[in-house]
Amino acid sequence: MKFSLNGLYIESYTKCANCGVLIYEASAEDSARRKTHDGSTYCSEECVDWKIDRDARRARAAA
Amino acid sequence: MDFVTMNILESSMVSLCKEMGIVLMKTSYSTIFNEALDFTCGLADMNGDMIAVADYCPAQIGGMPLLVKSCLKEIPIDEIEEGDVILHNDPYRGGLHTPEHTFFKPIFVDGEIMGFAVAIGHIAEVGGMAPGGFCGEATEIFQEGLRIPPVKIKKRGKDNIEVWKLLLANVRTPRANYGDLRALIAAVDLGEKQMTQIYQKYGKEKIKETVNDLLLYSERRMRAELEAIPDGIYAFSDKIESDGIDADRTYTVAVEVHKRGGEIIVDYHGSSPQASGPINATLGVATSAAYNAVLHMTDPTIPRNSGCFRPIRVMAPPGTIVNVDFPAPEVGGNTETHPRIVGTILGAMAQAIPNRVMAAEGATHCNFVFGGVDADTGEYFACYDLEAVGWGGRAFADGNDGVDSINGNCRITPVEVYETRFPWRIESLAFNIDAGGAGEYRGGVGYSKQMLCLNDEIICSQMTDRHLLAPWGLNGGTEGGLGATLVMKSGRRDWQTMREAYGKASTSRYSNVSIRRGDRVRLVTPGGGGYGEPAKRDPAAVAEDVREGYVSKAAAQKHYGYQEA
Amino acid sequence: MPDRKIIGIDIGGTFTDFVSYDAATGTIENWKNLTTPSEPIEGVLQGLGQVEDVASVDKIRLGTTIATNALLTRRGAKVAYITTTGFRDVPFIQRGDRRSHYDITWIKTKPLIKRADTYEIGGRFSAKGELVTALDEAAVRELAATIKADGTIEAIAVCTLFSYIDPGHEQRIRDILAEELPGMPISISYDVLPKWKEYDRASTTIADAYLKPIVSDNFHRMQKRLDGIGIGDRIGVIKSNGGESTLKGAAEAPVQMTLSGPTGAVVATRVLSELTGIKNLVTFDMGGTSTDCSTVVDGMEHVTTSFEIEWGLPIQIPMIDIHTIGAGGGSIAWIDKGGMLRMGPQSAGAAPGPACYGRGGENATVTDANVVLGRINPDYFLGGKMKLDAEAAHRAVKTIADQLGLEVDAAAFAMVQIANNNMLGALRAVLLQRGLDPRDFSLVASGGAGPVHICDLMDISGIPQGIVPNYPGQFSAFGFIMTDARVDRHRTVQQISKYFDGARATAAMTELVDGAVAELVSQGYQQKVEIYRSIEARYFGQNHELELSFPANQFTEETIASLWERFHDEHQNRFGFSIPGETIETVNLKVVAVAVSEKPQMRELEKGEGTPASSGSRKVRFEDGWHEVKTYDRGTFKQGQILAGPAIVEESASVTVLQPKQTLRVDRFGNLIISA
Repeated sequence: MKFSLNGLYIESYTKCANCGVLIYEASAEDSARRKTHDGSTYCSEECVDWKIDRDARRARAAA
Repeated sequence: MDFVTMNILESSMVSLCKEMGIVLMKTSYSTIFNEALDFTCGLADMNGDMIAVADYCPAQIGGMPLLVKSCLKEIPIDEIEEGDVILHNDPYRGGLHTPEHTFFKPIFVDGEIMGFAVAIGHIAEVGGMAPGGFCGEATEIFQEGLRIPPVKIKKRGKDNIEVWKLLLANVRTPRANYGDLRALIAAVDLGEKQMTQIYQKYGKEKIKETVNDLLLYSERRMRAELEAIPDGIYAFSDKIESDGIDADRTYTVAVEVHKRGGEIIVDYHGSSPQASGPINATLGVATSAAYNAVLHMTDPTIPRNSGCFRPIRVMAPPGTIVNVDFPAPEVGGNTETHPRIVGTILGAMAQAIPNRVMAAEGATHCNFVFGGVDADTGEYFACYDLEAVGWGGRAFADGNDGVDSINGNCRITPVEVYETRFPWRIESLAFNIDAGGAGEYRGGVGYSKQMLCLNDEIICSQMTDRHLLAPWGLNGGTEGGLGATLVMKSGRRDWQTMREAYGKASTSRYSNVSIRRGDRVRLVTPGGGGYGEPAKRDPAAVAEDVREGYVSKAAAQKHYGYQEA
Repeated sequence: MPDRKIIGIDIGGTFTDFVSYDAATGTIENWKNLTTPSEPIEGVLQGLGQVEDVASVDKIRLGTTIATNALLTRRGAKVAYITTTGFRDVPFIQRGDRRSHYDITWIKTKPLIKRADTYEIGGRFSAKGELVTALDEAAVRELAATIKADGTIEAIAVCTLFSYIDPGHEQRIRDILAEELPGMPISISYDVLPKWKEYDRASTTIADAYLKPIVSDNFHRMQKRLDGIGIGDRIGVIKSNGGESTLKGAAEAPVQMTLSGPTGAVVATRVLSELTGIKNLVTFDMGGTSTDCSTVVDGMEHVTTSFEIEWGLPIQIPMIDIHTIGAGGGSIAWIDKGGMLRMGPQSAGAAPGPACYGRGGENATVTDANVVLGRINPDYFLGGKMKLDAEAAHRAVKTIADQLGLEVDAAAFAMVQIANNNMLGALRAVLLQRGLDPRDFSLVASGGAGPVHICDLMDISGIPQGIVPNYPGQFSAFGFIMTDARVDRHRTVQQISKYFDGARATAAMTELVDGAVAELVSQGYQQKVEIYRSIEARYFGQNHELELSFPANQFTEETIASLWERFHDEHQNRFGFSIPGETIETVNLKVVAVAVSEKPQMRELEKGEGTPASSGSRKVRFEDGWHEVKTYDRGTFKQGQILAGPAIVEESASVTVLQPKQTLRVDRFGNLIISA
């Protein structure tokens, strides 16, 4: 989530593509953990892994 | 672990939260607060983790941790001062839905911030396009009502007057809202004062240590409960009819529950993209619903705090009906979609623990909201009318008749209070016969409330569900009865839906219908699904159903092969 | 003429307690025998058999559990419920909430009636008291015929919408049914509880009808047996408001008997307040299974209207506010799945009882812990009438200690701490949840186990003073010899300050007063009647009221203005804020009428000084370890004597444990006053 320069309103919302949690631009902790994968943003490595697992599981089930 | 101090501290804190709630209940103005008890009071540590909570409204109990933490992510802790009270309702940053207002007050001991006293309450009238908050046809947050980012409604012990002016200018019932806001502040004031005394009595370090132990203790107990559930991946889904805008579209809530050892992960991937109308749930709701479902499946005596929630994780994909993106509307998400999500998780777990779940309950609070000017007094009135539903049958008993849906625990307003306050005459309040799903254990029934309008005009909106898609049965049980909202216009003899009478897209979600003097409205609430094969139902129970009038003879014959003695 | 010989009788679950007072000698005696549950009057007669010349007794006052038991065991009448067309399901829909948030096993409370026995009658008033539909009298007569033909209905409850504003329909229904069904017990909601909120009113009225046959039957038998020993015309029964009523009066409104027994301890506490001059008292009566807590504020008992027979089944007539929790001497220790030590609510009861009773109980209980800690003397339990097995107590507590990795005495200490904490919850419920500050109160201990724990509770609750009264083990029965005849009448008369009609309020209040006085007179109470008026009010829009006393008997411009002013002050005091200028709504008018009886005079103790002589010593474990502690026999105490802790004071039915740093003083009447 990104505040405007003057801090008075929100310019944009960024959420983890897997778990949906808000990722705060101004948070050092969030910035340290975030990951990009396949063009999408994730809050952490765990969520990237989960997404990959899920896709694989669903692919197996479809096959 | 010093169990003795922990036991004593936990019960003191919960007791304190109850006392906060009593102040709130006794001084608030909205009947949704003081009659229906749609609020919750708790305590948080300085990180925003919930350390104690009183059992008022389940939806907010599960929502509290995310709400407080979201605010703390935005406000630097050194900008919070003694005597501040922070107010927030933003659904897109930790909130549940527009009417839910969170208040929290810092607890300082010797100049050091130790935690917060928290009160969350549903304020009935929040501005926006419909009186009473539930505008069934909103398409953006801006129509729903005033959205409040975390602001200080009190600064260093003094009212922040500019904030009050803005809040009260944008609602239809400023007098009542003022009373509600004062009540919520009184609750956190009491919480802060008493918790400060507890810190002073035992010492800051001792409390910090004991609270950490308490959270660890709850976590440990929750893990033990979860270990006892068979590992696996359990999937289930349910459909929601329409969003108030798009008449014919349905929306799916899909869950995959992963049970792994002492952990449980609720993955909502596969749920529909978010709707145009206000049935969307926020991340706060998706999280709270998962907590609620897990609490139902585990030992309810585990002290409720962030510790017991640690083994529960939630994956709610952004831009879906379970994690709505700005600026899409979400006012119905916390009352209507919320219980559907809980029910879906329970439905999934039926495969693992069939004795600890139940068939679908009505999963709607009816949410008939209205406002108008009282012809006698000239005063504006607004009301959020909440009703109860039938609950689903379970492996060992019938579903309960007429109880508030699972994400709430609200009381319905008595007829005599309702008629004293609002210009309606209630003509009947009666159970719906045959509305419980058939099964070895039948579903509970909902009821119908028929009202006559006594005012020149009352503007009505609604955000309810289950007019088209019935509550599902489990293990062979049949569906529960549908709900309905019907109007008999003055001078006519027939009942019509809102679609038929006013051209609304949906019969169950709509805004701003003008009900006139002499018109009648009938609110019908859904029944619960049945559990187990109807053929297995004890004939004595069937006979009792017929004798007591919950099941007609015809239905009893059809479902259960009933024969009169 | 004042009563010179009075006997108070408390029929409890296990024991029937007797306390007698003889004005001629000024002596109080107490004794007990086992209750005979199948026919409680037998136990009463047994106990009265010990009284010399019982026919010369002036007054017998009984607490009885007949109503409570009938409600709890669901053994009342088959009731037909009659209400306004369209509303038969009110007692079944109830309030719509559930007992706990997350309990999937919960089954909704069933009302006392069957849906098949509900009937609807045409006739309707509006919220303003206007007639919307006339009463369908023909339908009432047809209904009477139906009930007669059915033949199984034993009582009738009538509750129509807005009857608290206009009782005309209910009264007419009752009159017609009385004509058509002579002898059928009928309760109408206007008589039972003329307050708004139809479910609560209906539930209370149904309970009244439900109890009528069994209570009147029981009282009839009781009357005959007591006639047999020559005292049948001098019986009073204790109602839930702590007041006395004649048997006949109680049988006509049996729902008033629901909380009969436990009120004695509260009345006794009020008397204690008068004797000692201490205005604010909080009591805890600790028995084997449960502890009752209550308050006396400014010398008056607190009355509530929120009683429930079980969760969801309200009986909202005014009752002394007693908060009961499942914590007592028999509470069992156990370890939960997280490793935490818990006490109760399971209790070992009287059988098998605590391990130290030697009756086969193996669970460690609070009493066992107290024995291990040296607080209870195993050789002097119940005045020596019963020997306790200290080794059995030790063994039982050891099983808990081993699981916790503690020494036996440390485990016993922890058990007592947790039990005390549970009781603290009940104390908080009666104090803090009503905005009362523990530091303004004195704690009164009664019940067999109360005095053992009073000093611990003072410590953890912040209550600065404690009192162990005389006869703590029979405090309730003692209270009965101190009761007055009392009638409480409430009515919803809803108005707002903007359009307040003083004449209407005065008329309604006067009607309540006249009605209450008439009831006392009709029951034969001749004494002077004291009247207390109060009003429940709130800011217009709130949904819960504050109670304010109303000392005048007229609503004049002055008395009304003063009422609003006091409301703002009271709101500020209670909740920390007020809204000056805001409209105020008055909801309920309340009247208490008391026919004051002449009370027994408590005898003063002989004067003494210094410290009483001790009777010995034993080892007792406190927080900081074992102490060699002096023991004292309460029977030897004199007025004015002082003891410093640690100390043990023993008497026939209990023991008081005084902690180090506490002191005890014997007051004029022999009450033990403890200070921190």
